[in-house]
Amino acid sequence: MAWAQRLLRIDRRVIFLLVAVLTLTFVLRPVGLAIRVSPEVRSIYDYIEKLPAGSVFLLSMDFDPASKPELAPMAVALLRHAFARKLRVMVMTLWVTGTGLAEEIVTSAAREAGKRSGVDYVFLGYTPGTVNVIINMGQDLAKTFPKDYYGKPIDSLPMMRGIKSLRDVQYMISLGAGSPGVEAWYVYGKEKYAFELGGGVTAVSAAGLYPLLQTGQINGLMGGLRGGAEYETLLGRRGVATAGMDAQSATHALIIALILVGNLGYLASRRRGQG
Amino acid sequence: MATDAMLGAWTAAGLTLCMYTFLYKDNPFFKFGEHLYVGVSIGYTIVRIYYDVMLKTLVNPIAEQGRWDLLLPACMGVLVLARFVPRVAWVSRIAFALIVGFGSGAVMPRIISSFILQQVEGTFRPFLRLTPAGGWTWLQANAVVVLVGVVATLFYFFFSIEHRGAVYGAARVGIYFLMISFGAAFGYTVMARMSLLIGRFGDLVRFGGPEFHYASLVMLVLVVLGLGAWERLRRTPSNEQ
Amino acid sequence: MIFWKRTLPLTITCVMGVLGALQYYVPDPRSEAFLTGMAEWGRIIGGFAMILGVASLCHVHWGKIRRRAAGWGYSAVMYASMLVTVAVGLAAGGLRGPLVEAGTRFEWIYMYGMVALQGTMFSILAFFVASAAYRAFRARTAEATVLLVAATVVMLGRVPLGELILPPFRALGGWVSFPGIGPLSDWILNVLNAAARRAILIGISVGVIATSLKIIFGIERGYLGGGRD
Repeated sequence: MAWAQRLLRIDRRVIFLLVAVLTLTFVLRPVGLAIRVSPEVRSIYDYIEKLPAGSVFLLSMDFDPASKPELAPMAVALLRHAFARKLRVMVMTLWVTGTGLAEEIVTSAAREAGKRSGVDYVFLGYTPGTVNVIINMGQDLAKTFPKDYYGKPIDSLPMMRGIKSLRDVQYMISLGAGSPGVEAWYVYGKEKYAFELGGGVTAVSAAGLYPLLQTGQINGLMGGLRGGAEYETLLGRRGVATAGMDAQSATHALIIALILVGNLGYLASRRRGQG
Repeated sequence: MATDAMLGAWTAAGLTLCMYTFLYKDNPFFKFGEHLYVGVSIGYTIVRIYYDVMLKTLVNPIAEQGRWDLLLPACMGVLVLARFVPRVAWVSRIAFALIVGFGSGAVMPRIISSFILQQVEGTFRPFLRLTPAGGWTWLQANAVVVLVGVVATLFYFFFSIEHRGAVYGAARVGIYFLMISFGAAFGYTVMARMSLLIGRFGDLVRFGGPEFHYASLVMLVLVVLGLGAWERLRRTPSNEQ
Repeated sequence: MIFWKRTLPLTITCVMGVLGALQYYVPDPRSEAFLTGMAEWGRIIGGFAMILGVASLCHVHWGKIRRRAAGWGYSAVMYASMLVTVAVGLAAGGLRGPLVEAGTRFEWIYMYGMVALQGTMFSILAFFVASAAYRAFRARTAEATVLLVAATVVMLGRVPLGELILPPFRALGGWVSFPGIGPLSDWILNVLNAAARRAILIGISVGVIATSLKIIFGIERGYLGGGRD
């Protein structure tokens, strides 16, 4: 059957063009389909909602610019929520190339919420050592970060009063694009220093964290752009992630259609071969 | 619109489109962007190593807090750099032995606790919630499925015994659980890759707006013309010979 | 020389490995101080090791420029962009630091150079994943079909469109019901996928322990680097 052969011979540049056109169309003209919130994202939201004002919230932005589209919206949403709940926010990163991005995100979120560095939040920046940083923070935070990112001594910052180590953190979320990420924060952090831990990861890593979610080792999980969109929905504030979900829908539909077309052609040619 | 932001938008749009020319074929625009990325990335890392490793972690604590004990690990760190000199490269082994040895030891009990014991506990814990009167709920039904899946998949990975009889049956079930997991991973991977594309297109759309003087559109035309010129140059008879 | 080149490093590895493992079980302040100290040493030595990676990459490209190998012009672009970035960064932070990137030319290079380039490089994969899905994803066997179905359910279930076209429904007085593609994909992820991943996690953990033991007992020596000894 000639049509079966044609189905199997679509030029890849046609596929590239379809992907580009669909993505661009729905980025330019989002439809605004409703987003259902999953229990694992709601867990994170509910936990932050229940934290009393003044609780210590640590956000580690363990990603670089490659994962910005997926994890930056989560970071923004979490910071907005934490600032609205009047939590004491500490922000840091374990990835050297993520430092500039983390700074940009936290300062713009803080500016929007009218929060002051050193008083309402602290940006610790980056320090080398991956898992050793987590261990050192668990033992003595001031020794690990003697100064904040802006060069101010940690002990002099009003926000850091009473925070000596990770044991003084009430809730910690790692937004991780790989290693070190959520697993490292659990193995070297929560396991010994007993703070509650949530995770936000790229969609590539999300499937692998469900065992930890199920055992309660992490109390919630946001996966990919969808995770950020769900959190924005809970906040009642449409953001970058929500805007991208319609394009996500369209491209997923395209991939499924391409898989179906490919398999149709394959099955038809196989039947023809057998005939 | 500040000049910096305007110039940045044009630069970002141009570099983005240069990288996307790879979809046509490997070409000088893509190679230029690729090497520029490597250079900027290394340069950024070098700068952060200077400020965050050398100054923040070593020099400032020694100079300002009297942490002279940090000179010892600093010496070890210098030993690491001996790898550049083949005659004395062996000296770096001492530093690596220290950190790799400690790291290997420290990880073992933590991994056992976090990823073996707690995972096994989590597999069986739902069964402890069985109530005599209440009977089974979805929780327990799912727990049975999880238990079957974990055991069957572990059987599949057990290559020290021959997969025959009951072991073969269990391994087959394990394979299907693995296929479902890989399918879920593929679905999520598609989502991840598309999200990255959506992010970049979002930036291109923003830079194509009137406030940035339609930077993306102009750069698109320039890149396409450039690609066409390169293709034409490549195909001229003297080049083809 | 064998002592310094082989015996001493292997002995250090063994001793530090055993101490590192035992430390976890000893709740003594001295044990905690040992952990803190070793983690600090690890951070500083690891920081120097970062220099190795950077230098190695520079060395490769410098060799290409020196030999005028094919594509050396691009290596020159790499070097030039690296040097410019370093110069701009050091100018922004000064000799004594700290380097606060916001509002500096260094931030400009990062935001409009690195973020754009790195983001685009990884986003190209979206096109190739679409092409690969079309070309290679075939239901040739039962296992491949299961993989395909699971992938389709998760792809549909994780987007609003899927939840719109396949919502929950009940029919025939509740005898036939469908939870909706969203909850179905959640169940696949939380139950079936979690089960397989748990087994993989346990298997990987056992592998990590085995490798760690091999390193501690000197059977695995790759981390020491090359050389005759």
